Amino acid sequence: MNDMRIVERNVDTDSIKIAARGVQVFYGDNHAIKDVDVDIQDKTVTAFIGPSGCGKSTFLRCLNRMNDTIDVARIEGDIRIDGEDIYDKKVDPVQLRAKVGMVFQKPNPFPKSIYDNVAYGPRIHGLAKNKAELDQIVERALRRAAIWNEVKDRLAAPGTGLSGGQQQRLCIARAVATEPEVLLMDEPCSALDPIATAQVEELIDELRQNYSVVIVTHSMQQAARVSQKTAFFHLGNLVEYGETGNIFTNPEDPRTESYITGRIG
Amino acid sequence: MQQDARTRKRNAAEARFKAYGIAAITIGMLMLLILVFNIISRGTGAFQQTFVTLEVELLAEKLDKKGERNPEDIKKVSTFGYTPLLRGAFEAKVAEQGIETELSPKEMAGILSAGAAAQLRNFVLSDPSVIGTTVEFEFLASSRVDGYLKDRVSRDSIANDKNVSVGQLDFVDRLIEAGTVEKRFNLDFITGADSSDARPEAAGMGVSMIGSFFMMLAVLALALPIGVAASIYLEEFAPRNWLTDIIEVNISNLAAVPSIVFGILGLAVFINYMHLPTSAPLVGGLVLTLMTLPTIIISTRAALKAVPPSIRDAALGVGASKMQSVFHHVLPLAAPGILTGTIIGLAQALGETAPLLLIGMVGFIASNPPDSIASGLLDPNSAMPAQIYEWAKRADPAFYERAWGGIIILLLFLITMNTIAVILRRRFERRW
Repeated sequence: MNDMRIVERNVDTDSIKIAARGVQVFYGDNHAIKDVDVDIQDKTVTAFIGPSGCGKSTFLRCLNRMNDTIDVARIEGDIRIDGEDIYDKKVDPVQLRAKVGMVFQKPNPFPKSIYDNVAYGPRIHGLAKNKAELDQIVERALRRAAIWNEVKDRLAAPGTGLSGGQQQRLCIARAVATEPEVLLMDEPCSALDPIATAQVEELIDELRQNYSVVIVTHSMQQAARVSQKTAFFHLGNLVEYGETGNIFTNPEDPRTESYITGRIG
Repeated sequence: MQQDARTRKRNAAEARFKAYGIAAITIGMLMLLILVFNIISRGTGAFQQTFVTLEVELLAEKLDKKGERNPEDIKKVSTFGYTPLLRGAFEAKVAEQGIETELSPKEMAGILSAGAAAQLRNFVLSDPSVIGTTVEFEFLASSRVDGYLKDRVSRDSIANDKNVSVGQLDFVDRLIEAGTVEKRFNLDFITGADSSDARPEAAGMGVSMIGSFFMMLAVLALALPIGVAASIYLEEFAPRNWLTDIIEVNISNLAAVPSIVFGILGLAVFINYMHLPTSAPLVGGLVLTLMTLPTIIISTRAALKAVPPSIRDAALGVGASKMQSVFHHVLPLAAPGILTGTIIGLAQALGETAPLLLIGMVGFIASNPPDSIASGLLDPNSAMPAQIYEWAKRADPAFYERAWGGIIILLLFLITMNTIAVILRRRFERRW
C-alpha cells in the first residue's frame, strides 16, 4: 500500500454527465444493486471499487444498457446521461452504446485486421463519407489510444496478433472511434502485465480530457493512481462516493476503511 | 521411494485400462479392415466388364429392303431383324480365325448380351448411311460369360444353367486366344443406367447418381437456410423459456427418429396430400431435408456457442445491433463449424435408404439421364443407396457383384465429403 500516491486531482468541471437515482438491478431473484444514487462528472475519471460480487461491474453495465442482453436482468430506477433517461422506451440501446463506449476486462479485438477493428464502429454508424475520412478516423482513434506508432506500419495485420496490452489499447481505440462521450472500462488492466497496465493507465489519464471515464477496478492502487472520484460498492450498496483523496485517506464509512486497509474484500 | 502395494495396484489398474483401450481399438480396426477388404474384393469386379469385338456387316437387304434409306422403313426393322447380322459376324469370325467349334451360329451369338441387337439397331438408326458397310463393334458379353472371365462361373456351376453351355465356354476360350473377347475397365458402370433383370452386364450407377445429386441439391437448398436461420434465432435471439426448451428437446428427439418414419411421413404428406410426383428426387430431397435438419441445427448451434461471448460484447459495445453482431462477427466465425455440420448431414442423407423405399425411389428403373434441372428434380429416378438395395435383392449373382461395386462408389462419395469437412474445419478453424 505504499504506492498510494494521490496525484493532484483537479476536477476540471463540475458538470454532471451521468445521474443515477434509485437504481435497482435484479438477476432473477438476486437483488444485485440496491438503490444506488450517483452523479458522475464530465471529463473526470471515476473509479468503482469494491470486493468481488459487490455489483460494481453490474452497475457499470447499466450505464450503456449492456445488461439488456441478459434475459433475467431487470433494472429499475432512473439513469440520465446529459439529462436524458437512457431507459426511456424511445431510447435505442444501439444508439446509446455508440455514445457510451465500453472496454472489457479481457482484450477482445475482433479476429480481423487492426484497421477493420477500429473502422467497424464508424462504418456501422456511417460516420465516414469515404475511405479517406475513414482512414482519418482510424488514425485519430489509434493516436488517442496511444498505439498508432506501434501499429501504423501493419494496419492490415490481424488485431489478435498483438500483445495483450496492445490488444487492450486497440480495444480502447475501437471504443473511441465512434466518438463516444462516456467511456466505460470494466477492469481494463486485470489481464495485463504491469508494464502494459502502466501504459493503459497513462492513457486513461489522457482520455479524461475528452471523455467522462468510468473505470471498474479490483486494484485500489490503480483507483488511487488514475481516478479523481471513487465510489465504493459493497454487497450491492453504494457505500461511499467522493473525491478519491478523501476516500483513501479519510473514509467516512467503517466498511470503506476496512476494505482499503485490506480487512474485507 | 520403493513401490508399495497400493501404488503397485494403482499402476496395474492403469496398465489394465490401457490394455482394454488398445484391445477395443484393435477390434474396431479389425472390423473395419474386414469390411473394407470384403467390399473391395467383391466390388472391384463390377468396374470391369467383358467385351466382344466383332466386325458386323450391315447388310442392306436385311435392314432396308426397299433400298430407299427411308428412316421410317428402317425403323420398321425390329431387333429381331438385326440378330442374323450378329450370327453372320460370328460365322465370319470363326472362318477368319480358323476356330473349330460345333456350336450353331445361334449358340455362338448367345455369348453376347441380350442388348447387342438393340445396340446395333440404335447405331443404324442414328446414322442410316452406314447401311451396307462393315463396322467394328464392341458388344457386351452376356453376364455368364462375364462371370466366366471373373471366375464367378465355372463349367461345374453351369450344369443346370440354361443361359450358357460348356460348349459356349470352350468357344469363349478360343475367342480369348484370338483377342476377340477381353475383360477391361467399364466406364458404363459408373455413367450408365440401370437395366432390366435379363441384362445385368449393362447395368450402371450413373442415372441413380444423378438422382442422388438432385436430391442433395434439394436438401442443401432447403436444409441449410432453414437450419441455419433456426439455429441463429434459437441461439442468439430467442428468450430462454419453457417454449424454447420444448423446441430444443424436440429438435434433439427429431434427430433420433428412425428414418423410415420420415419416409412414411413423406409418403403421406408430400405424395398423397400434396400430390407431388412419386419417385421424384424432389420428394426424396424433402424427406431427407426433414432428416438432415436436426443434424444441421445441432451442429450450427454448437458452432455458434463456440464463438466466445466476448466477441458479441465487443460488437454490442461499439453500438452494433444484435443482428449486426451476429452477421458481421459471430456467423463468420461459426461458418466452418456450420459448413462441417452441413456436409456431414448431407453425407448422412446421401447414404439413407429407408425413407426412399416408401416414396417409390426403389425398384424404379430410370433408363435415361434427365435433360434439365426441372426434370432432374421431378422425373422419377432412383438414388445410389436405393440402386444398391435394388441390385442386392435381385437373384442374379451378376447384380450382386454390381451392388458391391455400387457400395464402393457410394463410399468414395462419403469419404470425399467427410474429407472435405475435415479439411474445411482444419483450414478455417480459429483458435483463441
